[in-house]
Amino acid sequence: MARYGMALDYKNCINCKACEVACKEENGVELGAEKHRIWVGANNPEGQWPLLDIASAAFLPSQCQHCDDAPCQEVCPTHATYYDENGVVRVDSDKCILCSYCMNACPYDARYVDDRTMTVDKCTFCSDTRLARGETTTACQNTCPTKVRTFGDLDDPESEISELLRTREHFSLKSHLGTNPKLFYLT
Amino acid sequence: MKIGPINIPLKEDFSLKSILGFEKTPMNMLVAVLTLAFLAMFVVGVATYLMHGHHAYNVTREHPWGLLIAVYIFFVVSSTGFCIVGSLGDVFGFKDYMMISKRAIFGSIVTILAGFAVIAFEIGHPVTMLIYNVLSPGLTSAIWWMGTLYGIYLTFMVIEFYFLLNNNMQKARIFGLVGLLVGLAAHSNLGGVFGFLNARTISNGVFYPTYFILTAFITGIYLSFIIMGFRYKMNFDEKTKTLLVGLAKIQTLLIAILMFFETWKMLTAIYGGMPNRAEVAEHIIHSGSFMYGEVLMGMLIPFTVMLLTKWRSVTTYVWTSAIGMVGIFFMRYDLVHDTQLKPLQMMKTHEYQLPPSWVEYFPSSTEIMISLGGLGLCMLLYYLGTRAFNLDEEH
Repeated sequence: MARYGMALDYKNCINCKACEVACKEENGVELGAEKHRIWVGANNPEGQWPLLDIASAAFLPSQCQHCDDAPCQEVCPTHATYYDENGVVRVDSDKCILCSYCMNACPYDARYVDDRTMTVDKCTFCSDTRLARGETTTACQNTCPTKVRTFGDLDDPESEISELLRTREHFSLKSHLGTNPKLFYLT
Repeated sequence: MKIGPINIPLKEDFSLKSILGFEKTPMNMLVAVLTLAFLAMFVVGVATYLMHGHHAYNVTREHPWGLLIAVYIFFVVSSTGFCIVGSLGDVFGFKDYMMISKRAIFGSIVTILAGFAVIAFEIGHPVTMLIYNVLSPGLTSAIWWMGTLYGIYLTFMVIEFYFLLNNNMQKARIFGLVGLLVGLAAHSNLGGVFGFLNARTISNGVFYPTYFILTAFITGIYLSFIIMGFRYKMNFDEKTKTLLVGLAKIQTLLIAILMFFETWKMLTAIYGGMPNRAEVAEHIIHSGSFMYGEVLMGMLIPFTVMLLTKWRSVTTYVWTSAIGMVGIFFMRYDLVHDTQLKPLQMMKTHEYQLPPSWVEYFPSSTEIMISLGGLGLCMLLYYLGTRAFNLDEEH
């Protein structure tokens, strides 16, 4: 029993998109730009050539925030969306009726329709693949060349993520909505 | 017709011949051709959906709810509206409104069946829904409550209609009252489906659950004018006129309240300045479907005509009610679309694209065909009902 979360040192992101590719490869995510569990958001640099503000071209890697109070889980009419024993927000495709309410309720646009099963799919922190094989990292974390991501157990005070969150300033996305996300952006 | 202890009083002349033997006036022929055309579209639309799934629709990751959700809401709002109008006579005992009770309750059954027919092709797995709604109920979900309560509501409406047909007014009143309460609960839960979305600030809050009840009553009165106009071919006797004048007066009050609600919704949204909410509200009031559809057709035209004619010209109200129903459709469509207008991710996620501003959506031909098919189904079932049952008040 763990309480998994992820810390992102997002300022190190170089938008190489290796994480997106690794996620698709590891978890068998469908091809196509719309079908993604994780993504890298990018701001265009502000200003006019040649006076471009390079620092404004920030990259923000993101995915399902695995909220402790997930709106997607609350609105699911059949409990297809549930918290597993590690606090990971998962979808039971056998119960999913594809009403798409969770897609509308998720404040992070972290869900999409898997056309093979015609059910909603999302990030699982590689629970069915890498974690099931006994590994301790996610595919996106493992492949990142600049080590943006740190995945681990938030309840374990000795874990690397707990250490990072103790020692570094961090913020969460849309935390004012009361979702208690478990993705933390290190500043 | 008797099935065990159940006695369904069908019309004596009810047969295929009576169904096809309607008076061949131009208006009747137009309605018949439209109904058949809509039903044909339903078949084509459903066949396309069965072959291509949701790819036949223009729904996307950012805009997962499309026209079919709006049309489902349109039909269930109509059903609740009919139920409220029908209840005025047989539940609350207003004598002047008794003559429309049976017709309105039948209308509520027909419209909700059309709504279910449409939503069955929007929900990805309707059979799974029936199973896991029972085995694994999500009690924190407004959709679960809405769907379950609508199922119970339909049962009560059918039982109420049965007792109305058999002139058992006492039992009809009991089932009608419970059905009305369940229907109102279901309907406000439908508003809650949107009201609970804290990610969508334009819809979040108490507005929709209450607004849905108000607009249901308004829709019920619009539809009552249309069906009574069709029933009496615009030649109303004094009793019917009394009913329609009464409904017109209620309608004026209800539209006035709705305009008041809408005005304050927009004022607080725009001048409240809450991020996401204010700019979405401004975007909405600049859209044609809101100004011309919702405001002009749904509210202002019927309201102004009723005020100017001082509730005396009931035949005119049949036509303004038809215009009002077009406005009501836009209310449902806008409700669904406006909820999803604002992209949730504000950064670009693909190379060579601009950051998203507004989420675009226009229904596909399949969505339009299934939606019109729902209307055709509704018209067909209603017509069959008028042929099979005596929907007029019995003395």
